[in-house]
Amino acid sequence: MQSTDSPSTDSGPDGRSRLRHAIDHAAHYLPAQGPINVFIHHNTLHAFEHLPFDDAVRQGTTKFGCQPYLSEERYRGEVARGRIRFDDLRDVLAEDLGGRAGDSLVGLATRADLRLAMLEHPVWAGSIAELLWYIAEADALTRVRAGVSAAARGRLLTETRRWVMRDLRAGRSRPAWAAALLAKFGVSRIEGWKEAMWEAVALEALWCVCRDSVRGLPPPPPAPPPARHRDLLLAVAAFDPDLGVHEVLIPLCAAFLDQGMSHWPLPERERGLYQAFLTLRRRGGPAAGWLRGLQREAARLQDEEVSPFDCILESLAALGVAEAEWDEYLSGALLPLRGWAGMIHQVEERGDRVPHPVPKGSLVEFVAVRLLLDRLAAAHAARAEVGYNGPLTGLRDELRARLADAVSTPEQRAFPVFQLAQALGWSPVELHALTPGEWALLVGEVEAFSEVERRRVFHLAYERRFTAQVLDGLALHARQKPADRPAFQVVTCIDEREESFRRHLEEAAPACETFGAAGFFGVAMYYRGSGDAHFVPLCPIVIRPTHWVEERALAASSEQNGHRARARRALGATAHQFHVGTRTFALGALLTAGVGVLATVPLVARVLFPRLAARVRRWLGRFVDGNGHTELRLDGFSVEEMTDIAERLLRDVGLTTTFAPLVVVLGHGSHSLNNPHESAYNCGACGGAVGEANARAIAQMLNDPRIRQTLVARGLAIPADTVFVGGVHNTCNETVKFADVQRVPASHQGRFDECRAAIEVALARNAHERARRFDSAPLSLSLDGARQHVAARAEDLAQMRPELGHATNAACVVGRRERTRGLYLDRRAFLVSYDPTRDTADAAVLARILGAVVPVCAGIALEYYFSHVDSAGYGCGTKLPHNITAMLGVMDGPASDLRTGLPWQMVEIHEPLRLLFVIEATEAAVRAVLARDEALAGLFRNGWVRLAILGPEAEEVREYRGGEFVVYQPQAAHLPRADSSLDWYRGWRDHLDFAEIASPTGS
Amino acid sequence: MPEQPLALTLLGMVVVGTPLALVGLLGGTSVLDRRLGERATATAVALVTSLALLATVGVFVLMLGWDTRHVVLNLGEWVHLDGEGPTYHFAVKFVFDRLSVPFVALTLVLCGTIGAFANRYMHRERGYNRFFFLYSLFLAGMLYASLAGTIETLFAGWELVGLSSALLVGFFHERPAPVANGLRVWTVYRVADAALLLAAVVLHHSSGGGDLDQLTGYREVAGVSPLELPSWPFGSCALPAGQALLVGLLLLVAAAGKSALVPFSGWLPRAMEGPTPSSAVFYGALSVHLGAYLLLRVSPVLEASLPLAVVVVVLGLTTALFAALAGSVQTDIKSALSFASLTQVGLIVAEIGLGLRYVALVHLLGHACLRTLQFLRAPTLLQDFQKLENAIGDRLPRPATSWVAALPAAGRVWLYRFALERGYLDAALDRVVVGPFVRVFRWWDGLEQRATASLAGEKSSQEEPPVPVVEVEHAR
Repeated sequence: MQSTDSPSTDSGPDGRSRLRHAIDHAAHYLPAQGPINVFIHHNTLHAFEHLPFDDAVRQGTTKFGCQPYLSEERYRGEVARGRIRFDDLRDVLAEDLGGRAGDSLVGLATRADLRLAMLEHPVWAGSIAELLWYIAEADALTRVRAGVSAAARGRLLTETRRWVMRDLRAGRSRPAWAAALLAKFGVSRIEGWKEAMWEAVALEALWCVCRDSVRGLPPPPPAPPPARHRDLLLAVAAFDPDLGVHEVLIPLCAAFLDQGMSHWPLPERERGLYQAFLTLRRRGGPAAGWLRGLQREAARLQDEEVSPFDCILESLAALGVAEAEWDEYLSGALLPLRGWAGMIHQVEERGDRVPHPVPKGSLVEFVAVRLLLDRLAAAHAARAEVGYNGPLTGLRDELRARLADAVSTPEQRAFPVFQLAQALGWSPVELHALTPGEWALLVGEVEAFSEVERRRVFHLAYERRFTAQVLDGLALHARQKPADRPAFQVVTCIDEREESFRRHLEEAAPACETFGAAGFFGVAMYYRGSGDAHFVPLCPIVIRPTHWVEERALAASSEQNGHRARARRALGATAHQFHVGTRTFALGALLTAGVGVLATVPLVARVLFPRLAARVRRWLGRFVDGNGHTELRLDGFSVEEMTDIAERLLRDVGLTTTFAPLVVVLGHGSHSLNNPHESAYNCGACGGAVGEANARAIAQMLNDPRIRQTLVARGLAIPADTVFVGGVHNTCNETVKFADVQRVPASHQGRFDECRAAIEVALARNAHERARRFDSAPLSLSLDGARQHVAARAEDLAQMRPELGHATNAACVVGRRERTRGLYLDRRAFLVSYDPTRDTADAAVLARILGAVVPVCAGIALEYYFSHVDSAGYGCGTKLPHNITAMLGVMDGPASDLRTGLPWQMVEIHEPLRLLFVIEATEAAVRAVLARDEALAGLFRNGWVRLAILGPEAEEVREYRGGEFVVYQPQAAHLPRADSSLDWYRGWRDHLDFAEIASPTGS
Repeated sequence: MPEQPLALTLLGMVVVGTPLALVGLLGGTSVLDRRLGERATATAVALVTSLALLATVGVFVLMLGWDTRHVVLNLGEWVHLDGEGPTYHFAVKFVFDRLSVPFVALTLVLCGTIGAFANRYMHRERGYNRFFFLYSLFLAGMLYASLAGTIETLFAGWELVGLSSALLVGFFHERPAPVANGLRVWTVYRVADAALLLAAVVLHHSSGGGDLDQLTGYREVAGVSPLELPSWPFGSCALPAGQALLVGLLLLVAAAGKSALVPFSGWLPRAMEGPTPSSAVFYGALSVHLGAYLLLRVSPVLEASLPLAVVVVVLGLTTALFAALAGSVQTDIKSALSFASLTQVGLIVAEIGLGLRYVALVHLLGHACLRTLQFLRAPTLLQDFQKLENAIGDRLPRPATSWVAALPAAGRVWLYRFALERGYLDAALDRVVVGPFVRVFRWWDGLEQRATASLAGEKSSQEEPPVPVVEVEHAR
């Protein structure tokens, strides 16, 4: 490298601390996704959460090059199929413009009319070459565009005809193009022109007027040139130096972060990324042309003990990056491999979550290596691709000078006006009469309603329709509640996937009552099952548990379990040896040649007969699985702590009186095969794990006489005849497994069996309702068929959509179940139980519920939103080429950035909407909560999630808009009714409207 | 010689004809823009693979029953020149024998299973039809290449396999990396194909026909029952040693390209760009073995030329060692598995060189099955490891690489980098082969430009042709 003498200006402690600050700043933009086996949903644009939503998504476009909303075509498609209503579009536009809506624009139309026309009629945008072709070859100048009203078309033709006949032919005030136009069409026979000819004349005149008028306008300011050398090189020389840099960096990052995939770890990994890289590179070995200087440079950096910080400073100085642009330049350098950089950052910050942590400061070292490579690549490209031999510091100036201005041409700016003129019936003569100032105004107005702005308005209308549906449903729905003491009660997670399960359960057993609470049920713990190797945290990611809980085999069966554990260990070790062995030389030969052909048996069986294969595997597994009874050891918790947990759950869900004799608490999880993203289907409140142990633990606590006694002292009397049972709902194959059933007293056995039977019915119906969303499940499936279908999906290696996860999430209702019971919510609402009538005066219960629930639900909804609107950019694209790397994440194919976000198969059917919270509480209570919790208030204020309140007494609904709670007027007079959920959804694949299910208990 | 029973010929026609029908069906409907639905496609694939498999089994049973070891399906000579000198002919001919029948059965079992797998895996994917069309091409190519009785037939199948493989690598053509890697695979295949073509020319030149019988030693002798005739693996090569060496070396280059032997190994991990099932069946199991299969097919040639056999053994062992080394540092499951595959393919090639033909065949079959299963299960690796850890009750041990520790530190780092950079093979090929190649052609191109310009009477200061601009987004 040319810059062996280290630059003097920026080094030293001062430069270093500024640099550290700049890197920390840039790190905010990196994805916050950790190792993929613990998938936590979070807001993809968390870095911009302090901004209003619409500003943030635009920032995302600038920073990441990703889409802010759905495409205009998608929204237009939604208009076409009636999902977006034209009335909503008009209302949203009027609301959005406020007082400016009625302004007249140069006397031709109001601003609202212009914008509505731009929403209604696609506005073309594209390259100049495409436009010129279109004008020359297509029918743009011969036929009025499709979709224009007959009135507008007629006006255009008549006015033009008048103008041509009276003024142009006579040569009065004749524009420059007129003579050529008239000559082209044969002015001598003008009286005989047919209508089609007049149409062409009108359009051509219109186009000429638009083009010539725009030509006189000052050009728009050019976009600032890109900061990165790579972007400039790509724009000027069509050469992408990142390709070569990434070919070196990706294997390096993967080797550095590897948690056990490779058999041979990176040498000197413990010294950090930077030193390991230099060590690897300081010795010879053929290298691609641009890397020739690296060997000497690596040796120098190591021998002179140049720190990563100083190395970065050297690189920045060599590249000619001034300190003022460090922030931008460094984030520009981090983002092209943001998955890898983000993972380095995550592993460095949360070393407790991986078996092989990396040293602190690894991200800085990543930047050092990256810039070193960038520097070499830029220097080489300058010589080889640009023919620039000056100093590297001046490369960007040179490239910027060569950069062709990407300013749009007058034709490109005129064409939208030309198109709109047709739609709005503006004639050429009117437009011709406009002054240059008026033209500037008009063009400015059209350009101000840019594509992104149009999509924003479309999106508002898209959300508005759904909002009306939810609010109408809640406002018009009649409350339903079991009259007497319920036969049994079931507490599930708030997950929107449990909405349908609860609904079907209530339909199957009208005498039951259900509740929703965050699925860790307040029990935050590190847990290790009797067959597990490690403790895993079972609680939301923001909590660090302080208790360790183990599942132990009961004494009676422990000896047999011991044998089985040893057998499992031996089998596991053999299986591991086999797996590793097939990848080696000699053992691999022996195994593949010796027993390889036997692999056809599992291969064919598992692919062609997945359910049978699963049954055989389970049958074989019986011989080694621990089968004896186990118990949870909750010794780590004091009675006081357990009472706190129990009290909190009961008060949160409002279950403080009228306990049923049997209360079932169900956690949830999802098991599937061949699915690196499996954890994303599990319980978010359990940190991407299965909530089985939490449900079991809370049931055990609530059954504990010591705790019940303490609860009495706190004013919570659980009747002596009430029994709690824990369990887990597998949301993929629709099964429920209960824990500690042997502890259910004989007196409750009958009731428990009834409850179980009802749950089985509900599971089958739930499977059936879910199956309607799977294209590969026929709509004619029977209940049993549906259950088999979902069970097969869970066992199928080839299944990319074992279940659809949170794909239907769109709303969250916080309130009493009676407000939603019997309302068909189509699995679209998180249901959080909360009883405003039992809250404290200062709404303390609501505050803690919202504090826990809003960030979790918002994280899920926003991750789905972004992964859907830009699957390749914010999401991780299609699952088909995914390749597990370093045990931490997936790449596309053999070498790509680490892909974060959700795969397309998970979000495919999602409607990207901002989550709508509807809280059953008074305005005063909600305001009090928001006033106390700024993080929460910010999410609502900035529109990341939306808010409405439902009056606890009356059926009044208020929408939160711009800081005010505005009374909502229901749009429908009554809700559609159906006798059962099945009657409502049968035969439909798509999202459904909400309906009243006539329940036997209701009315 | 007694007539070959009609039943055998008919069954053979089924094996050869059904894949072609599938290509015609999937391709034809796509061309006419009347694409089949997912269900119809899946049914067609299942039907064709099971029919062909049944027919293969039928052929096998009949061969056992009639004690025939060599069934020929001759689709006629397409060119036949009788002259004063040697006759020259160009035939399309398929052979069922102890080598091709197991390999065809393997191909059909794996392709059939993968077809069922891919039908669900590719559900609702935009490229569903394209995938299955390429799949059908691949299937046909595999069958024709393995059944080929003449080098022309072999070449046709070989090309179909190459074409469909390269297009499947570039399946996700909206991203730049798959396209670049697909092109790379295609380029390597070109080299291999050129070698195969040269071998065909040499063979025709020396004997007037491209029948593999000349290499494998099967000859029909009037009045001798087929049982007595030497068939694979007992044939002997009819060519003189010198020509055997030349043809053998050319075939070895062809096999090396197709089976990713050193120095062509670089393309194998790069081929993992496509959807998982295509990676699994094509590069993990079938197409990577095609080179080894070719060597098995012509193994009598190796016998005829000791130097050739030595080269084959050395190349196989080198590849196996290299792949084992490179495989030990791979950090993603698909690359790791692809190098694991290559290790075994190298060993299989070495076995062929040593004349252990049945061992090689069994090794090949077993390896293909096992590796396919591993590839298909690759996405479930994290869960599998979790399960193993739970069973063992601890973190999984890192496999011992104790021999590494025995090396001096500098050597260790050198070797690690050698492995991480995959033996610098791609870089070396770029420098030694691609660079000069491109320079030569650019030079010719320049010459041609100048010539046409002067013919057209334009000024000699012709501007350089515009460089095609490829828009490359942030490589992800």
